[in-house]
This record gives sequence, structure tokens and C-alpha cells, in this order.
Amino acid sequence: MIEAIGLKKMFSEFTAVDNLSFQVNPGEIYGLLGPNGSGKSTTMRMLLGLLKPTEGTAKVMGFDIRDEIVDAKRMMGYVPEEPVLPERLTGWEYANYVSDIWRIPRGPEREEELDELLTLLDIKDASDDLIETYSKGMSRKISLVAALIHQPKVLILDELQAGIDPRGAATIKEILNGLRAKGATILMSTHILEIAEQLCDRIGIINEGKMVAEGSMDELRLQAKGEKSLEEIFLSLTGGPDMQKIAEYLGDVK
Amino acid sequence: MTLNDLWVLLRQDLAQSFRISGAKGKRTEQRNVLRRLLYPIIAITFAILIIWGIAWVVPRFGWDILDTILTENIGLGSTLFNVLLLFSFIGSIMVSATTVGNSSRMEYLMTMPISLRTLFLEKTIIVILYSSAFFLVIGTPIFIGLSIVSNAPLAFLSVPIFLVMMVVLSTLGVSIGGLIGLLFSRILAGRRRLKQIGWFIGTSLAVLGSALYYYFIFLSDGFAEIFPFLFEIAAALGFTSGISPGAATSALSLGFLVGEPIIINDILLAVIYSGVAILLVNLNAYVSETAHYSGWLTSGSKRTTKDKAPISHDPWNPQAIPGISFNTATSVSIWYNITNIRREGRVFAQYLVGPLRFIVILLFGFFAGGDLLMGFTPFIVIAITVPFVVSYAVSFAGYELVYEGRNLMNLQLAPLSMYDYVMGKVYSSAPFALVVSTVTSIIVAIMAPSLVIYVPLVITSAIFINLAAGGIAANAAAIGGDFKAERIITRQRGAQVQMPIRGWSMLRAQLIPNMLGFIGLSTVLGLGLFLGPLFAYIALVPFCLIYLSLSRHYARSAGTKLTLKEASDYL
Repeated sequence: MIEAIGLKKMFSEFTAVDNLSFQVNPGEIYGLLGPNGSGKSTTMRMLLGLLKPTEGTAKVMGFDIRDEIVDAKRMMGYVPEEPVLPERLTGWEYANYVSDIWRIPRGPEREEELDELLTLLDIKDASDDLIETYSKGMSRKISLVAALIHQPKVLILDELQAGIDPRGAATIKEILNGLRAKGATILMSTHILEIAEQLCDRIGIINEGKMVAEGSMDELRLQAKGEKSLEEIFLSLTGGPDMQKIAEYLGDVK
Repeated sequence: MTLNDLWVLLRQDLAQSFRISGAKGKRTEQRNVLRRLLYPIIAITFAILIIWGIAWVVPRFGWDILDTILTENIGLGSTLFNVLLLFSFIGSIMVSATTVGNSSRMEYLMTMPISLRTLFLEKTIIVILYSSAFFLVIGTPIFIGLSIVSNAPLAFLSVPIFLVMMVVLSTLGVSIGGLIGLLFSRILAGRRRLKQIGWFIGTSLAVLGSALYYYFIFLSDGFAEIFPFLFEIAAALGFTSGISPGAATSALSLGFLVGEPIIINDILLAVIYSGVAILLVNLNAYVSETAHYSGWLTSGSKRTTKDKAPISHDPWNPQAIPGISFNTATSVSIWYNITNIRREGRVFAQYLVGPLRFIVILLFGFFAGGDLLMGFTPFIVIAITVPFVVSYAVSFAGYELVYEGRNLMNLQLAPLSMYDYVMGKVYSSAPFALVVSTVTSIIVAIMAPSLVIYVPLVITSAIFINLAAGGIAANAAAIGGDFKAERIITRQRGAQVQMPIRGWSMLRAQLIPNMLGFIGLSTVLGLGLFLGPLFAYIALVPFCLIYLSLSRHYARSAGTKLTLKEASDYL
């Protein structure tokens, strides 16, 4: 379970996240949506203890991120927007390296599990290649392997699906559905609204660091007063494209 | 290539270098004015002090005395300038190869409508500017000061001549060094295993070659006696004559300063060297572009067959340091550090052979000095061993901690003792310290057999100096490391044009361990030489305990700082 209570993060004079509160329950996938720079990644980094909130706090599986961050971190797995990978290791070595720093006991059991994850995500064949040779999608897959190795109760996924092939995306979708069924708490951000619509039980839309709408798809539609798609709801809340400027530009194109 | 493109790139790069002080973004922490302008203020104060000092001191004893000294030592000036050229060269052996090897990090520039040759030329020019900046900051006020007090009518001309010729010397050094590095990459292209050894051997040879060159131009009688045939070859090639780049620089800059008649040959020589410098820097850019397109620096494939073989792995239990067991965090940290460095051959070579550059020069001095200086053999042991093991510690524990960069996020997220992880970094250079201290102490024992008894002592001390240095360097890195260094081409691993640890922290990482090493090893060896070997070995026990506790103390402090580091510092 994740419980954000009045989270605020300021960088110098700039407020990146402003009094953000939301809750993600066990067995739930919560989608955090918002335009670029709206504060999604900053929020996630605060939950992960990578940034200190200027105000407010959050609880992860009951552990306060201000006072009990080490215990909170133990519960979490994270795939960042830009995977953090040592390029001079092979995929196999990296998975073992991460397992070691997560203190997962070495031995056949761990290796079988790693093998299973690598095979599942279709990167087993590349597991002896250096990570520097990986495509963007492969990098994300190996990051997901690293995030799942310790079987976290809370999973935080920042733009996971970007750059992943359709088969990989479908596999990931099934894995996330399965983890949800097993009671995992999943917080994800995505710009692919179709994925959010299909996968997420509840959605929070943030703009300029503030929560502007929250609820299930039905609740969001109700808030938007009509049978609207998530895209229409999102654009109405965060601002759509400037059609006049687009028309002007297209008019100038020769 | 157009000059406009080059200027656009240079402007962007220079602005990036100064962005830390000048950024005004809403998410950017603002520094106070004094801190932002600290370096320019220091440079200007330093220049004013030097100019004022020369203008005040020289008239007290009269310009004529200095005039005579300078006139009689224009030859010595050429040696000095040649040494500066040499420093530029040995510091740049891998610069171009590193730029090409890391070019994927400049993708955003490479997709612009600018030729790659221009891009690589610009990166080399940046290196030249950094390489010559230090000497220009020191040298320019000296020349201005001397011009003020000089009686020569055209003395002030010495200032622009010095500036231009220093840039020419740096350009020559950086370009030749860069070309040699690219040559290695061509020879080793596609050979993954060979690369690791090849870079090592190639760098060592280049270092030894440059050190020999240093002695050709510096040339002491003792050296000539030891290597007469080399001296003859050097003399035949003209290295010892007055046609070296340093000679032209010295003859023109000092010549104008003291009012000596300028010989047309010196001007011609300066023009020729300037032309050669321009030619070489362009050649460097051309070869860099070729290296990029030919993929000389990409990792060679490990696979030897086209048949798809099922992947199977041995049980995971890498031995960080064979025979010694550590906890998992420390052992994986050692393994990761060594593996990560070893697989980037040119970085591995840079870290291991780098200190040799200056130590060889020092060591040759003792060879050149003959029997007279052989009496100082114990000091040679110290002079060689300490900088080596300290340098390894700074590279493996200091720089590499900074180059964890974004990986710090993984470490912060994991339920890991950061102290254990930092200790892994510290321990990772110990095997190399063991090898190098064994080799150096054996060499010295051969030179002075009476010192054989001290070989185990030197090796043990060296390892504990290495551990203490590692802890101090890790702490300095945690305080002043630029954890985003990997994104700046001149700060990247192996580039080292700009260090990844900033300002005072860099000084702390280098200076304190070297001082501790020199003092500690001198004391222990001194006790042995004056009171007997037994006393040296008795003193070794507290020595090791103190250095180990220093190592742990600073590593713990580094661990705490890393745990508290905010993501915005490295992401």
C-alpha cells in the first residue's frame, strides 16, 4: 500500500510537486498521468526515498518515507524512465549484481528464478551480451528483471512500456495483471493513455505538481460529465493542443 | 566544415563548462556571487600578485642581472617548453580515442547538420584549451611582469608570442597523443580480449617512449653514458639540437624579452610548428571521424560462431579477491568495480599505467645520476611505490565511486550498507597495489641487495597506504564528486581532461594520501635503516592499524554521505 500525504517538493523557488495526496491499495494498479514536467517522476522519486519531500510525507506498506525509508525501500521495486544500467556488464551479470546488492542468497534457486524472468521477457538469448549492445526495449526489460528479482510488494514503474515491442508489452501486461491478482501494489506512470485505460484500476492526473482529477475510469468520466475517452478527459484537464497555432504552422509549410 | 559550425560548437561547450556558475533555471540551485566567481577571482589575484611581485622585486637587484641569466639560459628555456609539450602529450594519449569511444553520448550533436570531423575537431580544441590553460594562467603574468621591468624595446611582444606558442605546443602534444591513441584503437579494433592487454602495452610503450624523449632533450651526461647509442640516434634525429618546438618558443619569447636579435630561422621554425600543429589537429579530427565510422572502438563480439548455442551459466559465485572472503555487498562491489574497469581497456590502462608517466621520469633521474644517487635507493622505493598505490586508490575508490553516477539510485534503493559497498571500492585496488609494490620493491632490491629484507615491509605498507588512500578518496568523492560526470565528454572515464572530483575535494583525495604515504613509509623505513630491520617491522604493526582505521573511518563517512545524497545530484 502507498499513501501519499500532502507531498511537496521544491527545487529552489520552483515547486515541482504541490501538496499531493493519493492512495494506492494492495491488489491495485494506479496510473499517475500528467504532461511532461508535471511532477510524476519527482513524486515517484520521493516515494522511493531518492528525493526528500520539502513538506508532507508518504507511507509505503506502513513505513514512513521520512523516518523508515530503509524498511520502505525493502518493499519496493522500481523501473525508472531512463534505465540505470552499467553498460560494461552482460545482462546475466547485471541481474546477479542487482541480486547481490538486494542480498538474495546466491545459489541454484536464485539462478533458476533469474533464468525464468530472462526467458519470460525474451532476453535470455542476449543475457551474455554486454548491456551497451542492448536496444532501448531490451534495456527496459532487463531493468524490469532487476526490479522483480526480490519479489517486491510495491512496484513503481515510470514509463515502462515506452520502446517495448508488442510481444514484450503484452508479456509485461500479463505479469502486472498477475502481480495485481497476487496482491501487489503497483504505481505506474505512462503517456500511453490506452495502456492506462486498460491496465489501471484507478488513475490520478497531475498538472503542474497538483492533482487535478482522481478515480476509476467511470469516476473520471462522471467528473468530466459525459462519455469521454481518457484522452479527452486528460486534454480537457491539462490543456489540449493549440489548434490555431497548428493551423498557422501548417499554413506556412510549403 | 565551416568556422561558423566550429564556433557554434565551441561556444556551446564553453558555456556548458561554465554553466555550473551561470545557470539560472528555476530548478537550479543558485550559488552566491563569491562562489560563482571564485576561480576567476583566484586567477586574477594570482596574476596581479605575480606581476606586482616581479615589478617590485626585479628593480631591487637590477634588471641587468636577470637579463644576463635569461640570455645565458635560453637553452634551458627550450627544455622547459619541451617538457610542457611532453606533459600535453602524455596526458592526451587516450583523449581522442575516449572521445570517439564515448561518441554515443554526443548523439544529440551528431544528429545536427555539422560534419563529424568538425565535431571531433572541436572536442580536441577543448582539450587543447584545458591542457594549456594551467600554463597560460601561470606563464602569462610572469611574461607581463618581466616585460614591464625589461629594458628591451619590444619586450611586450614576448607576451602574445608566449600565448600563441603555448597553444601551439599544447596542440602538438594533444594531437600527437590523440593520434597515437587512435592508432592503438585501429590495431586492436574488434579484438575484445586483446584490447585489454593491447591498451595496457601500448600505453606503457608510449609513456616509456615519451620519457626517453624527455631525456633526449634534457640530456644529462650520466644518461648519455648509460644509453650512448640512444643519444646518438636522438642527436641524429635532431631532438637534441635547437630545432625542437621548445627551442623556437624559447628563442622567440625570451629573445624579445631580453632584446636578443631574433634570427629568421627561429621565426621560420615557429611558423612551421604552427602549421604542423594545425595540420595535426585536423588530421586528428579526420582520423577520429574515420575511427567512428569504422567502429574501431566498439566492443568486439564475443561470439565466434553463427550457430545459435543455448545459453548456460556457471553457478554465480564470483571471487572478488581469490582466497579472501567478504560479505556479499563488499564482494559484489569489488567484483563489479574490477570487471567494469577491466572491460574498458583504455580506462584500465589509464588507471594502471597512468602514474608511470611521471614516475618513469623520476626514476630515470636516478639512473642518470649513476652511483651517486643510488645511495638514495630507499627513497626511490618510496617515491615510486607511494604515488602508484595512491593513484590506484584514487582511481578505483574515488573516481569510480563518482562514475557510479545513476547506478547510485540502485544502491540507495537496495537494503544495502553503503559502507560495505564503499569498502568494496576501496579493496578493489588492493590486488593491483600488491602487484605494483611487489614489482617496485623487487626492482629496488636488485639495485640495492641490502634492502631485500625490507621487501615484505614495503609491500605490506603499500597495501595499507592504498587502503587508507582509498577511504580518503572515496570520502572526497562523496563530498565533491560530480556524479553527473559521465554526461560531460571531458569528465568521462578515461578522458580525465577535467577530473570527476571537483576543487578542494580533488586536492584532498590526492594530497592527503600522498603525504600520509610518504610520511608513513619514510618513518617505517627510516627506523629500519637507522635502528635495524626489527624496529621497522615492530613499527609496521601500529602503522597498519592506523592506516586501516583511517580507511574505515573515511569509508564510513563516504557511505553516510552517499546514503543521504539527493537523486537530483546524480540523475
